[in-house]
Amino acid sequence: MLRILLVTDTAKPIGELREILLQQGYDVLTDVASSTALLGSVERQRPDVVIIDTESPSRDTLEQLSVMNALAPRPVVMFTHDSDQQLIRAAVGAGVTTYVVDGLDADKLSPIIEVAMVRFAEDDKLRQRLAKVEQQLADRKLIDRAKGLLMDKRGMTEAAAFEMLRTQAMKQGVTLAEMARQIIAMADLLG
Amino acid sequence: MSSLFSNAPAFAAPEKPRLRVGFVPLTDCAPLVVAHTRQLGQRYGLELELVRQSSWAAVRDKLISGELDAAHTLYGLVYGVELGIGGPQADMAVLMTLNQNGQAITVSNPLASLLKSGRSLRQIVDTASKPLMFAQTFPTGTHAMWLYSWLAREGIDPMREIRSVVIAPPEMTDAMASGLLDGFCAGEPWNAKAEAEGVGRTLLATSEIWPDHPEKVLACRRDFAALYPNTAKALIATMLDACQWLDNPDHRRDCAQTLAQPEYVGCPVSLITPRFLGDYGALAQPPGIRFFGDGTVNYPKVADGAWFVQQYQRWGLLNRSEVDPETVALQVNQTALYAEVATCKGISAPL
Repeated sequence: MLRILLVTDTAKPIGELREILLQQGYDVLTDVASSTALLGSVERQRPDVVIIDTESPSRDTLEQLSVMNALAPRPVVMFTHDSDQQLIRAAVGAGVTTYVVDGLDADKLSPIIEVAMVRFAEDDKLRQRLAKVEQQLADRKLIDRAKGLLMDKRGMTEAAAFEMLRTQAMKQGVTLAEMARQIIAMADLLG
Repeated sequence: MSSLFSNAPAFAAPEKPRLRVGFVPLTDCAPLVVAHTRQLGQRYGLELELVRQSSWAAVRDKLISGELDAAHTLYGLVYGVELGIGGPQADMAVLMTLNQNGQAITVSNPLASLLKSGRSLRQIVDTASKPLMFAQTFPTGTHAMWLYSWLAREGIDPMREIRSVVIAPPEMTDAMASGLLDGFCAGEPWNAKAEAEGVGRTLLATSEIWPDHPEKVLACRRDFAALYPNTAKALIATMLDACQWLDNPDHRRDCAQTLAQPEYVGCPVSLITPRFLGDYGALAQPPGIRFFGDGTVNYPKVADGAWFVQQYQRWGLLNRSEVDPETVALQVNQTALYAEVATCKGISAPL
């Protein structure tokens, strides 16, 4: 489970992200409100992701950890070639910077950034996307569970399980999530 | 009023007359504050909006994204971004040096007593139960480099024998009081504050490590300087006027009052004024902060820029051996732009 640390040392209510991240199954560590506390938390608790206001005075503490220690959270590269560049730009625009442990899957990161971004965006359109993001997260969980079932019961590799999900969904003309839901229901039925 | 402007040299109108300029709350942001409060940009057709920044990371990001046109920046930050060390890469420009000196290394009371008892830092490090912890302000910044240079001079490998962390400068005093820090290197007034609150002693001014070292620069993106050369020149001219104004001690006293305000540094004027005027109390008076000195402070020397690249190579922050420090500095430091302005203003620029 991803461990997330929220830095709450500015007027921006980053701490309010806690509930929504918890609901989505993330492990949210105790908030910190100073660069000194941030340093201690990163060293003792090793969060995978740190979410911090772009205006936080504690940001430079994270920069130093990133340069000196490969295991420390690294800044998301905001201005280079990155598939999520638009997303990250928007997140920065909304006042949120995300620092992640090096090598963390971009897939796993984008929903977290998106949640943070939507929470703080002034833009109403972005707010409306929150529901969609939550849906996508729920879908992802369903798909992961269905894949797990296929791997378990049919002895498939992860890639093969995903391929089967995809082919079946296409055949029946339903979404991946819907297909996953059917497989889970079936498995529940058959025990 | 016209007589006041009669000696204004002919500068082409800036392409971009309104600029957003970032600064970090430190005594050495004085030239920007002076330029803003005294509207020194007016005679060059510039209007400056000063935007206070709470971290160097934010200064970097906003320069790159264009949210800031220019900023009061750690010399080393510009080179860290140019080389993409620990963060995004962007082609950067140093328009001029804004000040020399004016930073210090503070040690905790326990470390100060050990040093006073005659033990060397090397001996203290050897017998410490855990690595000493020193704070500075940004991984590729000037304070990190002054700290590492000083430690190396004391025979200590800053990469292996101590721990180097970054703490937000206004928190340094509390972090030291809590016992977390054995020392820190930062700008003023934060060293003066630690001493005034009795949690640490200023061990040395950074000008004792490198007399008249370059410190903060006026930085922007390289494409900004290329796209808006007249704007860049007008900004350099404005800052030169501000720096020159600050060479008068009475002006500095006056400026300290402004700096103390919450929208600038937000620190009691009693902590700002003495060191701003070069008074280091118990320390044998080290070279104090300089802003102009007939322009000797401000020329963006290629050798200064190259020095930072060499330091990154020295400390393993930059492992690409093909990088030639001088080549990098020739691209970053806008010596030609600066020289044009200096010549126009009758300031000697070492060419």
